[in-house]
Amino acid sequence: MEGGASYARMPRVKIRELKDDYVKFELRDTDASIANSLRRVMIAEVPTVAIDLVEIEVNSSVLNDEFIAHRLGLIPLTSDRAMAMRFSRDCDACDGDGQCEFCSVEFHLRVKCMTDETLDVTSKDLYSSDHTVVPVDFPDPAGMEGSENRGIIIVKLRRGQELRLRAIARKGIGKDHAKWSPAATVTFMYEPEIHLNEDLMESLTLEEKKEWVESSPTRVFDIDSVTQQVVVVDREAYTYDDEVIKKAEAMGKPGLVEINAKQDSFIFTVESTGAIKASQLLLNAIDVLRQKLDAVRLSDDNVDTTEQFGELGSHLGGS
Amino acid sequence: MNAPDRYERFVVPEGTKKVSYERDTKIMNAASFTVEREDHTIGNILRMQLHRDPNVLFAGYKLPHPLKYKIIVRIHTTSQSSPMQAYNQAINDLDRELDHLKSAFEAEMLKFSRDY
Repeated sequence: MEGGASYARMPRVKIRELKDDYVKFELRDTDASIANSLRRVMIAEVPTVAIDLVEIEVNSSVLNDEFIAHRLGLIPLTSDRAMAMRFSRDCDACDGDGQCEFCSVEFHLRVKCMTDETLDVTSKDLYSSDHTVVPVDFPDPAGMEGSENRGIIIVKLRRGQELRLRAIARKGIGKDHAKWSPAATVTFMYEPEIHLNEDLMESLTLEEKKEWVESSPTRVFDIDSVTQQVVVVDREAYTYDDEVIKKAEAMGKPGLVEINAKQDSFIFTVESTGAIKASQLLLNAIDVLRQKLDAVRLSDDNVDTTEQFGELGSHLGGS
Repeated sequence: MNAPDRYERFVVPEGTKKVSYERDTKIMNAASFTVEREDHTIGNILRMQLHRDPNVLFAGYKLPHPLKYKIIVRIHTTSQSSPMQAYNQAINDLDRELDHLKSAFEAEMLKFSRDY
């Protein structure tokens, strides 16, 4: 554009753990503003699909209609299609009443308890009109077999009670209502840099070393059983609590350890609700953030005439 | 029952501009940009990116009120540049960074699934 120098950075990424609903990665060569914007976008601005409108035909359960509607809204639905869907408020094909395929998905639920045993109505009883948008299926964690997977409980029915309803799911974002948030938790921490002053450390007795190592609330340091030297076992366990620094000072050994937060390195953990994969959540967040940036560009009709004449124009044209 | 609609927090009302700016009348190369329906997510990355531009003498943003869904970004540059130029460049640079980040993450995902 202007052809001038670019001040863009080239961040590096390293994935540590990658599961469907969890990703842990290192983000380097950028700053906290980017890390925090990504976190904020993941939580509040990546779209998903959630039940938004509920029409209850019959409800003789113990929960009232709005209680059930609220619970339905909170069920995560698979939302891989959400990025391509339209918000019903700017859907041209319908009046936003959610009757079209571009902006909504219809669900039906009809359950009646006919036995003396309590009947659980779960997310598995919801029938979707679209096989790509269905309640999230939680696979049993390994070892938890036996109890069959019954989905998310909506309400329990006794003999004779019935629940019949129609629900419409729409695209939305977490800023509107938390039910649309695809993120269970998103956190990042500064990567710590820990330097032990080994000379000073050697002036401590083994007892003192043990006492100092114990002073950390998390297990960051340990004593090598062979060399009896203090070693850093898990620097990321450090919670920036300053306890070891205070302890060193109390022991009369200030400067025993030096801990810095690296300002350009972050360790991210992203947990998804299951609506979209955790890795896709990050990619969608980047796309959403870029769209947001694109929207705040100065458009041509924003650039007033004074701009073309520079400062002089602004003085001539200014009132 | 007089609560404002929830979408008012992120939908720009009709007839309002997303971005508008006003030059400072007393200082050369200074301007305030009002960005409607944005918050710290955009404000903070813009500010930090503007700080990387050596022609920018001052860059800051504020969220004037928690119930006014807009931010104000103030930029003051040297005569080598202008607030509008710096603003545009910051957005372009951020866009490039995010583009790079996306491909870096995708490449890393491919590498990760192959290695493990």
